[in-house]
Amino acid sequence: MAGLTLENVYKRYDNNGKKKKVKNDYAVNDLCLKCEQGEFVALLGPSGCGKTTTLRMIAGLEEITQGNIYIGDVLANNLHPKDRKIGLAFEDYAMYPPLDVYGNVAFNLRARGVAPDEIERRVREIAPLMQIEDLLDKMPVKLSGGQKQRVNIARAIIREPELLLMDEPLSHLDGKARQAMRIEIKRLINKIKCTTVYVTHDQLEAMSLADRIAIINFGVLQQFGTPAEVYDDPVNEFVASFIGEPPMNITETKIIKKNDIFFFSFEGSNLEIEVPKRYYSVVHDGFRCKVGVRPMDVLIGDENSAGTPEEIAVFENLGDERRIGIHVGNMILMLITEDEKRYKSGDVVRLRVRGEKTHLFDIESGERIREKE
Amino acid sequence: MARIKVENLSKKFGKVTALDDVSFEIHDNEFFVLFGPAGAGKTTILNCVAGITMPDEGVVSFDDKIMNRVEPAHRNVAMVFENYALYPNMTVYDNMASALRSKLYKNDEQTIREKVYAAAKMMKMEDLLERLPSQLSNGQKQRVAMGRALVRSPNVFLMDEPLAHLDAKLRNSMRTELKEMQSNLGSTCIYVTHDFIEAMSLGDRIAIINKGKIIQIGTGDEIYYMPTNEFVATLMGDPQINLIPAKIKSENTQYELCFPFGDREVTIDMPGDEGVFEKIQELNLCAVDIGIRPQHVLYAFEETEGYFKATIYSYESIGNKSVIIADCGDYQLRMIAPNGLRVQIDGDIYIHPVFEQSILFDFESKDYIVRYNEEAVKALASTQEVV
Repeated sequence: MAGLTLENVYKRYDNNGKKKKVKNDYAVNDLCLKCEQGEFVALLGPSGCGKTTTLRMIAGLEEITQGNIYIGDVLANNLHPKDRKIGLAFEDYAMYPPLDVYGNVAFNLRARGVAPDEIERRVREIAPLMQIEDLLDKMPVKLSGGQKQRVNIARAIIREPELLLMDEPLSHLDGKARQAMRIEIKRLINKIKCTTVYVTHDQLEAMSLADRIAIINFGVLQQFGTPAEVYDDPVNEFVASFIGEPPMNITETKIIKKNDIFFFSFEGSNLEIEVPKRYYSVVHDGFRCKVGVRPMDVLIGDENSAGTPEEIAVFENLGDERRIGIHVGNMILMLITEDEKRYKSGDVVRLRVRGEKTHLFDIESGERIREKE
Repeated sequence: MARIKVENLSKKFGKVTALDDVSFEIHDNEFFVLFGPAGAGKTTILNCVAGITMPDEGVVSFDDKIMNRVEPAHRNVAMVFENYALYPNMTVYDNMASALRSKLYKNDEQTIREKVYAAAKMMKMEDLLERLPSQLSNGQKQRVAMGRALVRSPNVFLMDEPLAHLDAKLRNSMRTELKEMQSNLGSTCIYVTHDFIEAMSLGDRIAIINKGKIIQIGTGDEIYYMPTNEFVATLMGDPQINLIPAKIKSENTQYELCFPFGDREVTIDMPGDEGVFEKIQELNLCAVDIGIRPQHVLYAFEETEGYFKATIYSYESIGNKSVIIADCGDYQLRMIAPNGLRVQIDGDIYIHPVFEQSILFDFESKDYIVRYNEEAVKALASTQEVV
């Protein structure tokens, strides 16, 4: 087991002479990450953001344009993939169809000339962890998607890797199987305590599995933090809108001052929300920025509460919870409530916003505007 | 606009029974959802209504007019599919206008223009009209497909999992948009889905289908709070409802609930509820499955009076909240927790199921018997207006 350090890693793909005029951007741009020993780190971002490229550079399947990768204390830049002591599990199971499950799991050890009784011992040790004891004599074609992925992961961890790398291992599975498998992976990593790098574009997966999440966009690391940090304290608009479902309500606002109290006002809407006191040091009358608040942090006040009356545009009763949409200018402000009251579109309500949960973002850069200490 | 009546519909594909004596009635202008797992027969029903599939038995009628022998083109239904089925060589405008230009409608270009623009405005895609389908995102493609159905002002809209292709975020925002547009559709609509959130959100009424049979028809609230059996209960809600096998013992007029928890057997007094006690007495119940939704299972990390000890199996976020799964011996209990807790897997947790919110199912047949607060729930369900 070992930690993993990425120091100012860059990757630029050659464009193979096809469009010479087009300047190739970096697929991975100045990426620095430090994963502790035994830590579960998720690389999260939209497709094409460079997360798989990063993983492939760690695995040694892709050359590094610039920068250093250390596995443990060893500089791995020029190490052959087989010498990096890594276990890999990809989205595609890539199993050997003529071999049974036992043969697939044992393949790596056999190829390295490990003694048969040692192989036997290790397979028997791993199988219960991945709950594939009953599948060992089955052929791959007989397995369901979830079972195949179990075998695939078993094959990755049987090598007792220092570093386990997984690339979207669940995206082939359907909803229920995915949820079940997610729990299995979490329990497995908790048991074997192997340093793991996990690539996904699904924020839910990252939030529920990882100790820390590295959020990447256009090859650039946006934020690296625990699930609670990226959820409650996003560094910019991208992170704020990428994490959480339904996404954070983010909209442009103009601050207005009335009787020494600041309010958020919105174009095309008469909604006014009081600005939390902590922002008074950074805002002024006429200040423009974006304001974001999660759907859980918008509340419906009762009839007597202060605030602008607003008409409900959409009311969705989802059983466990109810979602309410309200037009603010040309966006829909969503809020979630577990209150049993049934509304219908057209009903008028007054909104209350949990001031401490609002975030301000710069209109141009999307960077978070923080209150001054 | 049309009332749709389906009577005793049956259909076999070879030896496979796809539909088995399906009957239901849809009101004028109603948004009716067919909901069930894959292979339940939802799409087959839709195809029978559209006229694409001929039923072996049974009658489909619109406004009391039997449609079985009417060609699909003459039924005035519009269908929206999961895979948008747009003409790749036509612009969005031409795609939407294509049906109106067909031999059947032969509208003049002026009318077509008006209709296309009206539909485009409703679908918020006025600025996409000149694009080709290849220049659209998946969400936009589905919008065009719906817009194309809209321009014909059909009697009946048939939608077959229109949102299933989209990723989670887009699906949610499209669903909200669809919900907002719903009252403007001005047509009866049948909507097929396997996603309970879509069913709950969109449906005026929902029909639950399994293995070619209709299991339950009702409003979202009726089905959520009073599922007709355990199958329906587990379909509605994410995370799934918890089911605890329990025995009821009676002592005079008091009842005790006896259920396994971890390696022991727990006995508690049943919370009082006239409706529940009457039912128990009437049916002389002794074995039940108790259904409790995850939000009605309370937990604590320290020993607490009235809480039972179990082991944490997993803790994970499902978006704006998290789920703790606890191992209770023969079964697991799911419960809702906030995000960002420090939870030790395989650590101890103390659990208190709120039986005052539970649903009782028959242990043998797995059918609904009674639930706590049945009267209040019925009152709540009836506040939802039915169109």
